[in-house]
Amino acid sequence: MSGSPRRGRAGLVALEATMIVAALLYVYPIFLMFMNSLKPFGEVVSDVIALPKAATLQNYADVVKRMSYFQLFLNNVVITTIGVTGIVALSSLAAYILDRRRTRYAKFAYLAIIAPMLIPFQTFMITLLKVMTVSHLAGSTWGLGIQYWGFGVPMAVFIYFNFMNTIPRELDESAIIDGASTFRCFRSIIFPMLKTITTTVVVLDVMWIWNDFLLPLLMVNGRPETKTLVLSAYTFVGQFNTQWHYAMTAMVLTVLPSILIFIALQRNIVQGVVAGAIKG
Amino acid sequence: MVALTIYLPFALSGYYSLTKWNGIARDPEFIGLANFVELFRGGDAFLRALLFTAEYTAVSMVALNVLALAIAVALAKELKTRSVLRSLFFVPYILSMTIVGFIWQFIFSKGFESLFRITGFSFLNLSWLGDVRLVFYSVVAVGVWQAVGFYIVLYIAGLQSIPAEVLEAAVVDGASGPTKFLRVTLPMLSSSVVTCVLLSMINSLKVFDTILALTKGGPAGSTYSATLEIYREAFQNNNYGLGSAKSLVFFAIVLLLTLVVLGLFRRKEDEA
Repeated sequence: MSGSPRRGRAGLVALEATMIVAALLYVYPIFLMFMNSLKPFGEVVSDVIALPKAATLQNYADVVKRMSYFQLFLNNVVITTIGVTGIVALSSLAAYILDRRRTRYAKFAYLAIIAPMLIPFQTFMITLLKVMTVSHLAGSTWGLGIQYWGFGVPMAVFIYFNFMNTIPRELDESAIIDGASTFRCFRSIIFPMLKTITTTVVVLDVMWIWNDFLLPLLMVNGRPETKTLVLSAYTFVGQFNTQWHYAMTAMVLTVLPSILIFIALQRNIVQGVVAGAIKG
Repeated sequence: MVALTIYLPFALSGYYSLTKWNGIARDPEFIGLANFVELFRGGDAFLRALLFTAEYTAVSMVALNVLALAIAVALAKELKTRSVLRSLFFVPYILSMTIVGFIWQFIFSKGFESLFRITGFSFLNLSWLGDVRLVFYSVVAVGVWQAVGFYIVLYIAGLQSIPAEVLEAAVVDGASGPTKFLRVTLPMLSSSVVTCVLLSMINSLKVFDTILALTKGGPAGSTYSATLEIYREAFQNNNYGLGSAKSLVFFAIVLLLTLVVLGLFRRKEDEA
């Protein structure tokens, strides 16, 4: 033994103290952002670290108006909902069919679907923009949501497919004997059994789509009505680069939804991310 | 079939990108391999960006995995506040990378200035985003700050899957702390290590948002990553053809690196 139990406990306390300090330092930048968003311009410029003398929400009122925040928020919700719903519906069904039909064609289709996971987005974004403009999917929130189907499906199919063989085939067979169609059987028997894995997929894809920057930059940057939160924060901060109090407020408003959702669903999110990474 | 309807748009976009390597702006003109020739001969900026990306990836991979493993080991212990601490380290990961870039731009310019006035530490007074040499470390640090929580969580999951009996047996056999870690914990963690190293490599290679928000590739073009360079060539210089050529080279490199690393790990596993 390297030490007596008492020394072990003292070590643990020291470690705990160190980790707490480290963690607080670690999130300090985020805290700074929040704090400075509550200060008027003069105070931000004179001292970044000092607490606000009198916290004010004036910045928030200004920025919400200038960014047309609620419109942006709505855009984000629309894009994310369309994207994630489509990805979940298409991928779970596709993985189901691919798993149950063990033909050579199904195997090839599976490989063809998951292979794009290895292609970095930036390598085909140039021609993607052209294709999407031709097919009228660029320039609108719903079009962008639909585009995410294409990018989200490979990984989602991969995750679902690996999980699918844990569901016994006898279940489908008995349902079919009872007169259910394949789709009916999938919808009322198989899909509910995929709940845990669906959570993973939803968590990963919501986080990804909500925060995505490059695809919206290419597709919906043209008009203010179609911009996303992150995109708008990017232009806004660029514009108000020297007016840090507005910049900070815009940033807080952009990340606030993610932080709130994270606090509410911590456990699911962390578990989902772990499951996704280990499967992927 | 459903599979086909999903696959088609994706394959199409992939197909277009792989074939239209010589389309120039509005009027595509076939120029053969000229783009690739230019890229390797005169493409100074691209080679520089590739080099930057390589350095960035190498340093980030090491920093991310070492830091994450160290913190994970600490947080896997019986600490009272461990679940709160784990969440705190995870928070930056859920933020948009663009915003992370901006937060740090603010800290490096304004925050350090105030801290310097209070503490007088001279390293705070350096130009962390303006100096061609220092900016590299700033960019890496921000990338690591954003992502490390993700790898911590993965390593913790790996650590928890090691059965307690194995560790106890090692202690009974007389293994001290460091030996126990090197001889028992680390080998049993190998699948987590493979996952984390591979993911951190792929993600670092693709770095884009944080750099765009933090430095826009500056100062003096010293922080152009490969992806940022592709973006600039295609959408700011309007050289779609050259941009596509660069993106194909980049894809080949990423694919090759991934396969090499996977192969290395596989051989190691066979030996063990």
